[in-house]
Amino acid sequence: MTANSPQLWQQVIDKVRTWARLNSIWAVHFNSGSCNGCDIEILATLTPRYDVERLGVKLYGSPRHADVLIVTGPVTRQARERLIRTYEQMPEPKFVVSVGSCSISGGVFDGCYNVGGSVDEVIPVDVYIPGCPPRPEAIIDGIIQLLKDLQGGKPRSAVRPNVAAELPS
Amino acid sequence: MNIEQTLQTAEKILAPWNKDTLRPESNRMDMVVQTDELRAATNALHDAHWGYLSAITGLDLGVESGQLEALYHFCSGPVVVSLRVRVPRENTYLPSIADILPPATFFERELSETLGFKIEGLDESDRLFIPDDWPSDVYPLRSDFAVEQAAPVSGSRIDEIPEQGMLTGNTFVIPIGPQHPALKEPGHFQFTVDGEIVTGAKMRLGYAHRGIEKAAESRSWYQNLYLFERVCGICSHTHAMAYCMGVEKLAQVEAPPRAHAIRELVAGLERIHSHLLWLGVAAHEAGFDTLFMYSWRDRETVMNLLEQVTGNRVNYSANVLGGVKCEVGPEQAAKIKEGLDYLETRIRHYLEVVTTDAMFLNRTRGIGTITAAEAEKFGLLGPTARASGLMRDIRIEAPYGAYVRYPVSLVTRTNGDLEARCEVRLEELLVSCFAIRAILDNMPEGPLTARMPRKIPAGETIARVEAPRGELLYFIKSNGGETPARIHVRTPSLCNWVSVLEKAVGRQLADVPMLIAGMDPCFSCNDRVVTVLRTDKKEAWSWKQLREYGIEYYRR
Repeated sequence: MTANSPQLWQQVIDKVRTWARLNSIWAVHFNSGSCNGCDIEILATLTPRYDVERLGVKLYGSPRHADVLIVTGPVTRQARERLIRTYEQMPEPKFVVSVGSCSISGGVFDGCYNVGGSVDEVIPVDVYIPGCPPRPEAIIDGIIQLLKDLQGGKPRSAVRPNVAAELPS
Repeated sequence: MNIEQTLQTAEKILAPWNKDTLRPESNRMDMVVQTDELRAATNALHDAHWGYLSAITGLDLGVESGQLEALYHFCSGPVVVSLRVRVPRENTYLPSIADILPPATFFERELSETLGFKIEGLDESDRLFIPDDWPSDVYPLRSDFAVEQAAPVSGSRIDEIPEQGMLTGNTFVIPIGPQHPALKEPGHFQFTVDGEIVTGAKMRLGYAHRGIEKAAESRSWYQNLYLFERVCGICSHTHAMAYCMGVEKLAQVEAPPRAHAIRELVAGLERIHSHLLWLGVAAHEAGFDTLFMYSWRDRETVMNLLEQVTGNRVNYSANVLGGVKCEVGPEQAAKIKEGLDYLETRIRHYLEVVTTDAMFLNRTRGIGTITAAEAEKFGLLGPTARASGLMRDIRIEAPYGAYVRYPVSLVTRTNGDLEARCEVRLEELLVSCFAIRAILDNMPEGPLTARMPRKIPAGETIARVEAPRGELLYFIKSNGGETPARIHVRTPSLCNWVSVLEKAVGRQLADVPMLIAGMDPCFSCNDRVVTVLRTDKKEAWSWKQLREYGIEYYRR
């Protein structure tokens, strides 16, 4: 392989990209019907006591600029389509963190008429953080696991359903 | 006026329409009223200035009886008078009372969507709680409802932005939600603006509507405690407390005094956490992120105290039916006092900041002013009402549990603007700190729990407690079984929404974020049932843009 080969350039660019991504995770938060418990704990991780910004994590308002989608709550019927839409609006590569028991299994709301179930039935999930709600330390641990996976170049989950097909045209 | 006199006054006012009077509890009176006389009875109560409409509960009396029932709960101090109207299932027509009492708007909507009451003049194409793809003749709270009936139907969604955001001339629709970065909760608003001025406001809830009231009917009394704790993660203790108090009343079990004291203690700590959280969010909306970070830093102090007492930071699970499960020993009492010392100094500092900081005052003073008369008319509750000079606080009007022994003082302001709401909330924290100290100094000795039966005797009860956002009302009905027959929850945010929708009209668009934050909305409470602005069309603004616009507007 010569210094001019396109593969080498690609490798170098990929390395720089991974380095940059690891140090500046931008997250968008979506509440798909949670009780607020997880949401206030996510906010608490951003504020001075836990301060995830020291890891380069920033909560950002627009899904179009985000790397990570943080989802809390069981997926309600009204929020389902919005969740898919928010996910679709994010640029590749994108990662999903599912926070709290309800988002993992429906939790205490399992069986309610307006609850569709877990987040991973709607969009692919990379990291699960259990707890009702998880402590900020657990949320930070989940983020670190995501970062470690990215560092090791772990491939994304193979099945990436084309969820956009479910959106009404 | 004592309870008996208040009840007699109500009975006298309602005498012409009263078909039957029941006295289920010493502070309650149920009156059976005919459908076509409901408006006249409501008018009479309204004209006599007797109490306020606190909630409307819908009941399905079962397929066999072929009837539905609506209960209009009017409250005055500790007294609750319920007008009971029965309608046949085939003809569920009810007259609307929203023109007499505006707060009924949301309650009637809930009745129509969840139980299928046909309210006169209500546009049923426009939904507030249940999903847009819900079939039109299926009502989740009916006793014969099965989930299979609710297969999604296709149709347009309310949060779909019109292809042409521009309506006529300079009028735009600005959609906000359901995902927005500021509030961490889902909802949808549409503000119509003419240039800078908001000319119309519309709201869609239901993104966090999970169907808790229905689920409660299939779970045991004990399981439901954990379900109702998760109606809202911010005020979970008050929800559990209201539920426990109601069930204890039905079972005629009195929780021990020590349990009541610990309940009030945790409720006080929860109020501190909730209001500090609110202060941070409101400061963020105003572009004052320094205050946001400081108040959330100090909030961690009270989170530590809550964790130390109950073992959890959020969803504390301090209550059990018949008492509490956590003990507060002398060591913990000392730690709590130490924490309160620090918090009190900080709260005094914040009180000074919100009343003297010129930039913050620019965003709060004289904005969203609600007069006492308006607050009364809209049926506002909690700090939002108290900032307008309305003396509305269940802890003082109808003391429950330990509030009889450790009373709190009423905090009110008369300006009714956003500044007054900041002051009321912060001053309430000082009152809460004072009450917590009183409890710690005079903690009654004794057991933590009383024995509760597994089956709760048949009956109906109403439990009212003061949540951080205002009066929380639980209506609990038991048929004598191991599961409840019906539990209806009316949360304070539902009553306070009117303050945003009414006050936004005619104001600058830049004030909208602060108006929403000013009432301290809690969507998951409402929704048991807020907003992403889509940025892909040039007419649509994101919440962030709107917030930045607001900050920029006031910088000039």
